[in-house]
Amino acid sequence: MDRPDVRQTVYQVTMVTVVAVAVGAVASLAAIAFVEAVLLLNDYLLVSPYARIQAEDRHLLVMAATIAVPASGGLIVGLIVRWFVQERRALAPPDVILAAQTQRSGPGFRSGLASTLAALVSLGSGASVGQYGPLVYLGAMFGNLAGHLKLKLRHQRSIAIACGVAAAIATAFNAPIAGLVFAHEVILRHYSLRAFAPVTVASATGYIIANVIFDRPAMFLVSFGHVEHSYEFVFFALEGVLSAGLACCFMWLLRASTDAARRFPVPQWLKPASAGLVLGLVALWIPEVLGIGQETLRFATIEGAFGIGELALIIVAKLVLTALCIGFGFVGGVFSPALLVGILFGAFYGLVLPYLLPLPYSGLEVYAICGMMALASSVIGAPLTTILIVFELTRSYDLTIAAMVAVVFSNLISYRVIGRSLFDLQLRARGFDLSLGRDKAILETHPVRDYCSQAYTTAYVDENLGTVRQRLVDDDRGEAMVLTREGKFRGVVRLQKLVNGRADAPLDAMVVTGATQFGDDTTVWQSMEMLRGFLGEAVPLIGADGRLIGVVPEEAVIRAYLEIVHDLREEENEAA
Amino acid sequence: MKPLSKCLAIVSFILPGLVAAEDQVLTVATWGGAYEESQRAAYFEPFTEQTGIEVRTVVYNGGLQVLREQLASGEVEWDVIDMIQSDASAACEEGLLESISPAILAPAPDGTPPEEDFMAGAIDPCFITQIVFSTVIAYDDRAFPGVKPRTVADFFDLETFPGKRALRRAPVGMLEWALLSLSVPREQLYDLLSTRRGLELAFRRLDEIRDDIVWWTGGAESVELLTSGKVAMATGYNGRFFDAQVNEGAPISVIWDGQLIGFNSWAVPRGTDQMAIAEQFIGFATRTENMAAQANRISYGPARHSARQHIGLHVETRVPMRPHMPTAPEHMANAVIRDHRWYSQTVRLREQWFREWLERNDEDSPPRREPGE
Repeated sequence: MDRPDVRQTVYQVTMVTVVAVAVGAVASLAAIAFVEAVLLLNDYLLVSPYARIQAEDRHLLVMAATIAVPASGGLIVGLIVRWFVQERRALAPPDVILAAQTQRSGPGFRSGLASTLAALVSLGSGASVGQYGPLVYLGAMFGNLAGHLKLKLRHQRSIAIACGVAAAIATAFNAPIAGLVFAHEVILRHYSLRAFAPVTVASATGYIIANVIFDRPAMFLVSFGHVEHSYEFVFFALEGVLSAGLACCFMWLLRASTDAARRFPVPQWLKPASAGLVLGLVALWIPEVLGIGQETLRFATIEGAFGIGELALIIVAKLVLTALCIGFGFVGGVFSPALLVGILFGAFYGLVLPYLLPLPYSGLEVYAICGMMALASSVIGAPLTTILIVFELTRSYDLTIAAMVAVVFSNLISYRVIGRSLFDLQLRARGFDLSLGRDKAILETHPVRDYCSQAYTTAYVDENLGTVRQRLVDDDRGEAMVLTREGKFRGVVRLQKLVNGRADAPLDAMVVTGATQFGDDTTVWQSMEMLRGFLGEAVPLIGADGRLIGVVPEEAVIRAYLEIVHDLREEENEAA
Repeated sequence: MKPLSKCLAIVSFILPGLVAAEDQVLTVATWGGAYEESQRAAYFEPFTEQTGIEVRTVVYNGGLQVLREQLASGEVEWDVIDMIQSDASAACEEGLLESISPAILAPAPDGTPPEEDFMAGAIDPCFITQIVFSTVIAYDDRAFPGVKPRTVADFFDLETFPGKRALRRAPVGMLEWALLSLSVPREQLYDLLSTRRGLELAFRRLDEIRDDIVWWTGGAESVELLTSGKVAMATGYNGRFFDAQVNEGAPISVIWDGQLIGFNSWAVPRGTDQMAIAEQFIGFATRTENMAAQANRISYGPARHSARQHIGLHVETRVPMRPHMPTAPEHMANAVIRDHRWYSQTVRLREQWFREWLERNDEDSPPRREPGE
């Protein structure tokens, strides 16, 4: 290796490491600050049971707070989103996926900060939404900033975004391996050493900050012995299948709620407040629906904490109210509610099972954890991540294997029924379809217009055959674009048709009008599809006003396809 | 009625003051037994020696009720109370305590000012925290000659470790242990106990050993129940178990799993007529050398850093004191730090739940069973 190459390699490795550590550290600190701020708000606003019980003497105050806090929180959220978020909607993991996958600029930093603030208010005031979505966005936001520095690193932006996301997840769950895998599985959608190395560094940085420097408590502590009976694995698989059903139900509810919100005759900024009001009223009766529900999560693993009926009631209430809160514009994620509903469903399953099949079981805990992970993994489309979260949080091999079985069965079903994840569904609604892999999705983001050429021969409908024939011979082309005198595109004439015609014959009769043509918004992917059976040199590209913008030679479409796919393959196979 | 009782109150205040002008008496409400003896040797006797003021003790077993009643009746008999910190802070909020000037506290021998020498939160307008104590579970070695109980869960396991359980008749510690025995991590105890579900769960767990519970109220009582063989396991204060085990040679052992760390503080009830002497006493009792003197008699950790450095061997038995301190590193791994804010804010609630639970069980209804159990 000669000298400049060595210098270049040292520069690359050093810079990538510096970016990874910096993004990891900032994302991790931001995540800690966010989580702490939510807890503080929950205590201050009488959302957390810990704060509520201390105000027990002032019963009316607690009741008033239960109704007023989510409602006014919703109002503030509505106003923040209206005034400060340019996109007028919550920014979430789908935006991160889009930013990492495409070259599009994506939401600005200001919108990101405002969206994060809205999430903070939502969670702080007890809305039934999750905190991991906002944390992922927060991490990605700082990654995106680093991605714009002029460091001349390849795929700098997508890698920096993945670094931020990995660090945020590693911090939030105290699970660095899960953070690393999440960034690849959900955000990058491929595994290459070039991305893997810095994302690992960022994830480890997040873990060190959370664990060593701040000594944050683990999100979930369980002690589990082992699965006592081999036949239980069948029950875990069945639990996975049932969880998939619940996951589909959850996603369907989310969509129904979003649709209902659209039809709800109230200004957009007032919608979160109305959801908050409903939430508060239900919380008077079922306090478990408020907030993230750490306590409920823990109770679900304890035998005797819930009756079967109670569990069913809380599951339904939490599902419906989460869909309501998110659909009506509270800003927050779906992962924490999915974890909670999942663990409650798991506990429910664990309690009902002995009545159906009177066999010995390994206790409630393992069923609760399986349900939690099966449901949550289906919703966010991250089976590997959730399996690793179980492993890292519980350090129990047995529990992880049990959860693994439930998770894969759940994902198998939900993938078939609704698609890979809620994020992918939301992206598809926005025209970015990852269901057939990255190739199609990315090819869909490139307009074929970018490959347009002005090298074509023009003919007008009122010209005669001989003139056009001579022009084609002079230009050395086989076809001409026929326009009206007003400049509108009319069709194509091919030299083959003109060769034997009379020179004074009108051109009009020779024009082929129904041939393949591209529009202003035709993507590279669509153009590939449209080229099937195409015989000709170039495809005309017609603007919305019917005028000819240019032509796209067949060769250009193939070149576009090869270039884009080559870039993708290169990204996926690069070493550091 | 009111003016009359006021007059009586005034008379009863002034009279003893006048009568005792020559030989003054300071009344200290404290916890009796080995603990009080250690206080007598380390604080009361040296105080009398130095000032000529006699210290009289009355037994106090925690809680606010007695103090409330005294203040309501207008006859405040106590001058200084040795209170659990959470009780002191609740009493402070109810206006039951006088405020104490921090100026009475002496600096450490090396000149470190008290606010740096005392542990964080120890110096409060209403109280001065003096010791770290722990409520632990101990067992009778004779009751379990084979496998010994090791965890809080074993306290609730009547099958493996049969025998009576001595428990303090107050909603203190029992709720934490009930949830700990269900493998709730200590970090989440107070969050879970803040919910109705958590309280119900804890009391249902207590239902399981209800028939074998023997109640105690005073700290000395629990040691007595255990050493006399009346119970197989008992909860109690670590210093008293230490005293019975090391000084008296009783065959008992402490389970350090789930020890509940708490703090004791000096406080002065509102309406005392000896405020100046009370403050003088507290200033004296919180001197580094006096606190160390107590720690070398009973295994409670002093709240002053400088005093902790003077902990050595027991004054009589020459047993090293450090390994018996609740704050010894090997005991801290599974220790529960009592959440004082939570405790002081939930006094009434806990008392009410506990009373209702007792009544429910006294009516002898069978323990409620959930389908999942």
